[in-house]
Amino acid sequence: MSELRALFSQASARTRNALLLLLALLLLAPLLLDRYLLSLMILVLYFAFVGQAWNIMMGLCGQLSLGHALYVGLGAYTAAALYQHFGLTPWLGMLAAVLVCVAMASVIGWLAFRFGIAGTYFALLTIAFAEFTRIGFDHFDWVGASGGFFLKVVQQGTTDWLNLRGHPRMFYFLALALAVGAFVLTAWLMRSRAGYYFRAIRDNEEAARAAGVNTFRYKMIAIQISAALTALAGVFFAFYYNNLFPEQIFNMGRSIEIILAPIIGGVGTLFGPVIGAALLTLLSEGLTELLQILGIQAPGLKQILYGVALALSIMFMPHGVWPGIARRLGLGRDAKEPQE
Amino acid sequence: MNREALLDVAGVSKSFRGLSAVADASLHVAQGEIVALIGPNGAGKTTLFNLIAGALAPDCGSIRFDGRDIAGMRADQVCSTGIGRTFQLVKPFADMSVLDNVMVGGFRGNASPTVARERARRALAALHIDELRGQPASSLTLPDRKKLEVARALATQPRLLLLDEVMAGLRPTETDVMVQTFTRLNREQSVTILLIEHVMRAVMALAQRVYVLHHGEIIAQGTPAEVTRDPRVLESYLGADAL
Repeated sequence: MSELRALFSQASARTRNALLLLLALLLLAPLLLDRYLLSLMILVLYFAFVGQAWNIMMGLCGQLSLGHALYVGLGAYTAAALYQHFGLTPWLGMLAAVLVCVAMASVIGWLAFRFGIAGTYFALLTIAFAEFTRIGFDHFDWVGASGGFFLKVVQQGTTDWLNLRGHPRMFYFLALALAVGAFVLTAWLMRSRAGYYFRAIRDNEEAARAAGVNTFRYKMIAIQISAALTALAGVFFAFYYNNLFPEQIFNMGRSIEIILAPIIGGVGTLFGPVIGAALLTLLSEGLTELLQILGIQAPGLKQILYGVALALSIMFMPHGVWPGIARRLGLGRDAKEPQE
Repeated sequence: MNREALLDVAGVSKSFRGLSAVADASLHVAQGEIVALIGPNGAGKTTLFNLIAGALAPDCGSIRFDGRDIAGMRADQVCSTGIGRTFQLVKPFADMSVLDNVMVGGFRGNASPTVARERARRALAALHIDELRGQPASSLTLPDRKKLEVARALATQPRLLLLDEVMAGLRPTETDVMVQTFTRLNREQSVTILLIEHVMRAVMALAQRVYVLHHGEIIAQGTPAEVTRDPRVLESYLGADAL
């Protein structure tokens, strides 16, 4: 707790006030927003959360995963199956989901980091694991195989926090808690020894080793933290949407969707995933609205838009939009560095 | 062979695909000494450093540090025994600030950011680059990057510092400042130093003893004055015809 307090007091007064104001607005939002806008906010928070999870691995530690849908899917199926078959509360399901995903991440990490699979080859390995897990689940009858797995839906008038059944408002607060939690965790990590070691590994692995960093251990820690958080996103996904299809949840497109927000917002920054998630959701919903008004039917246009946004962002803002915003707000580098 | 040696390298060899880079090299560095390792380009000096620092594992031979066998240990394990090293081709953490770069070293053996920052500030001050601490490492000039390498190694609180051509590219006045820095570290904090150096001005000023490496073999050793008069050394640098 004292370290969290230190974290908070290290931020400049301006940052602190801005964050408190934002948090207050987010807490009050369900009172002000209608259901549609609330569902949009849930999406923003969800992508901010998974983006942050992915960012810990890539932005901080430099390990590119293009298969994060694997952990979303595994986490979702684990908690959903335990709930549906055994009536286990998703809160315990989260624990199981985290354990399953950390185990999976450890296998991938061990294979890659032990045998020096890095960069693009590591990214390919993460895709391969997501793909063959998808194929496996296509034939996994216990959870409905390719036909899909469905959770019992209840009246939305009631709110059952224990089983996460009920009104979207509950999911809004859950998503908010996850996003805020991941934000605080990342902020704390960045200032801790692990955060320094992650960034050292990202920038130069050999120099990191010479400075005393056990690179294998810290890369394992990064992938495990990232997988554990993404598992929670999976549990959220399962109980929010109530239906799971291997074809969708393990889809490579899902993995790409996860990494868009941090890339557009700013890889390796604390606020990047949050800003990126907000921008992308606004963009995509704005486009959907626009097309509806114009009466144009164009399935797949959203994906094209994502592609264009990604290309433009990489071409013109390789560090994402956050560094520019930070400079304009006069926050400087204090999102990245502790104040003296 | 030498009981009070802090570092004792005995009969170490390393070859790459049959090409011998270091052949049966032996050297020792006593606690508190400053020793230089010189030799023409391609003599195997950096390879020998890599063997000591754990970046490479020797094919045979033993490397003892403070009585422990460190041959074949991982680089981070070697670091935690108390050996800090710099790279000839500098390897800064480019996207991190100068202070953060050095703090990575400062976290050796402790997890407290306060301690790491304190160690880093002291190392930066010792190298006279404390005022650059807020800048990204990628913005530094080459001489400053060399100093950053030293500061990062120094922040790991080493008992033995391996310096790989840290004076290359410095102006003579800067070299003198660097020499003073190492002399002070050696005297005040009793840091033992083994350095690879081409700048003879620095070697003469710093080293109590010198080893000369040629084609992977130690061909001469002695005080700087002795070594520079040794015909084998002159031959290795200038070629037999020049004599």
